[in-house]
Amino acid sequence: MSDFINENPNVLDETQLPKRSLDSSSSTIYERDDDDYYTNSNFINLCSSKTNKRLANILQDTDYEESQSSVLKDITDLNKLLTLQNNIDNSGDPLVKEDVEMEDNDSEDTKENNAIERELIDAQEIYDLIAHISDPEHPMSLGQLSIIKLGDIEITDLPDSPQTQMKDLLIRITPTITHCSLATLIGLGIRVRLDRALHPKYRPTIILKPGTHQSENQVNKQLNDKERVAAACENDQLLNVIRKMLSTCK
Amino acid sequence: MKLLLKKSIKEHSNSVWSLSVKKNDTTGQPLLLASGSSDKQVKIHSLTSDNYNLYETLDSTVHKKTISSVSWRPNTLNNQLILAASSFDTTTSIWGKEEEETDFELLALIEGHENEVKSCQWSHNGRYLATCSRDKSVWIWEADEFSEEFECVAVLQEHDQDIKNVAWHPDQLMLATSSYDDTVKIYIPYDDDWECVASLEGHKGTVWCSAFESGLDFNTRLVTCSDDLSLIVWELIEDSIDEDEGQIWEIQSKLPDYGHSRQIYGCAWNEKNGLIASVGADGKIVIYKETRGKGSGEWSIVAEQNDAHSVYEINCVIWIDEKTLATGGDDGLIKIWSLN
Repeated sequence: MSDFINENPNVLDETQLPKRSLDSSSSTIYERDDDDYYTNSNFINLCSSKTNKRLANILQDTDYEESQSSVLKDITDLNKLLTLQNNIDNSGDPLVKEDVEMEDNDSEDTKENNAIERELIDAQEIYDLIAHISDPEHPMSLGQLSIIKLGDIEITDLPDSPQTQMKDLLIRITPTITHCSLATLIGLGIRVRLDRALHPKYRPTIILKPGTHQSENQVNKQLNDKERVAAACENDQLLNVIRKMLSTCK
Repeated sequence: MKLLLKKSIKEHSNSVWSLSVKKNDTTGQPLLLASGSSDKQVKIHSLTSDNYNLYETLDSTVHKKTISSVSWRPNTLNNQLILAASSFDTTTSIWGKEEEETDFELLALIEGHENEVKSCQWSHNGRYLATCSRDKSVWIWEADEFSEEFECVAVLQEHDQDIKNVAWHPDQLMLATSSYDDTVKIYIPYDDDWECVASLEGHKGTVWCSAFESGLDFNTRLVTCSDDLSLIVWELIEDSIDEDEGQIWEIQSKLPDYGHSRQIYGCAWNEKNGLIASVGADGKIVIYKETRGKGSGEWSIVAEQNDAHSVYEINCVIWIDEKTLATGGDDGLIKIWSLN
């Protein structure tokens, strides 16, 4: 393998990764608007970022526990979200997070709809699931190397259409070098992680960010070939590598 | 028309990749349904009762990886039940049942492919078995009448990429192979050998599956389905006797393209009424009918079923009779549908 050349401007420290922030001390993310992952023109998930900003503002201005803010009264969903976010941030564990959501639904929805009704997944949640995957050849995570960027995750989590309950999820990865031979392995690791962690209604499409790889089309085709992925997942050697990559997931 | 769920069979614990129907060679009555899955199991269900009872589970210690394809051998000696099952473990197993009371036994294990075997199918006369693999090759095996000896009569390496599916014509020796290289190749026997006589180029993505129309009275036709969300009906226009000329196939029609919104993995052509069924990653079953009669090339959608395997993808579809079809999905379910 050739020398490590990171074409992305800087390697991020673990603490610099974009995350959902609820208290003022960790809301630095919103002050860092000049960071490339936020000024990225492809930043699609405006909705969730706006929500997050609103949440952050509310929390900076009022005491969350005793909040009398009219905003909170008006937006019932927000309140639900806040409690949820708080729990999530306290636990910091995506697996626990899922449990929390399930519990939340238990109290409000009929049981058979539980799995289907979980509607709170956004780009940040996907980011949290995959950003901590280790790079196969560097002692850093995909988030730190900016192989995964929050702005390159698109998720359509709209209410169910009459046609289908499936949801599209698009992840663009940015390899560190344009001839990175491990791009398919990284993509496979992301796919395995998502298949294990997400509800089966999500249909992840994983592609290279346009212009970031010499064999872009080839890699994209392979990454989204269901049968090749299935066969790769039965290859013990490959599975061991992926297991190592995923062992740093939080 | 409407698709109604007749039965949901929960025997597999992982994705179902392939289905095959065993029919009575004389009467055409459907007898058994075989299925292969990522749970490494081959299951056989009865089609002669309304309950679709489990008939048998094959010995699951033979294959170490996903069962990618299953196929019943037609025209066997004394109507013996013979099944081929190919696997990602690079081998294809041949199973036979001696008598009603005994279990299926392993008769042969065919080796030769370097990588995963993706698909296997018996020719209409039961003489040949075709297998294809990620190693870019198609092998044609000639079987003895006891299904114990297999001689490789051709290794066809026409494709540039892995081959997803092999499909024989239901009434003559003609083979179609679908590939990751976006093409379909057609082969026929020629002078003790097998020749590639046509390359069908028109899809803009992996071709997952193909199915011939039955019958010999009209021009031969083939339907193919692809990653590019389209289904194409190809027609054999000119069948040159001269070997060098090969065959000329043209696109006769494209099936209505609003049917599927994700990859199309399976298609099947009903041998009696000419209906085409397709399934795919969008979880949909779509049924197409040739509206102005057989051969007209004008197709419309006559039935659809959304989320047929809830939120899971559908990998394969097969007609059981004119009004009944079976689908296999990533939820591990086999679903039996009736078209009313």
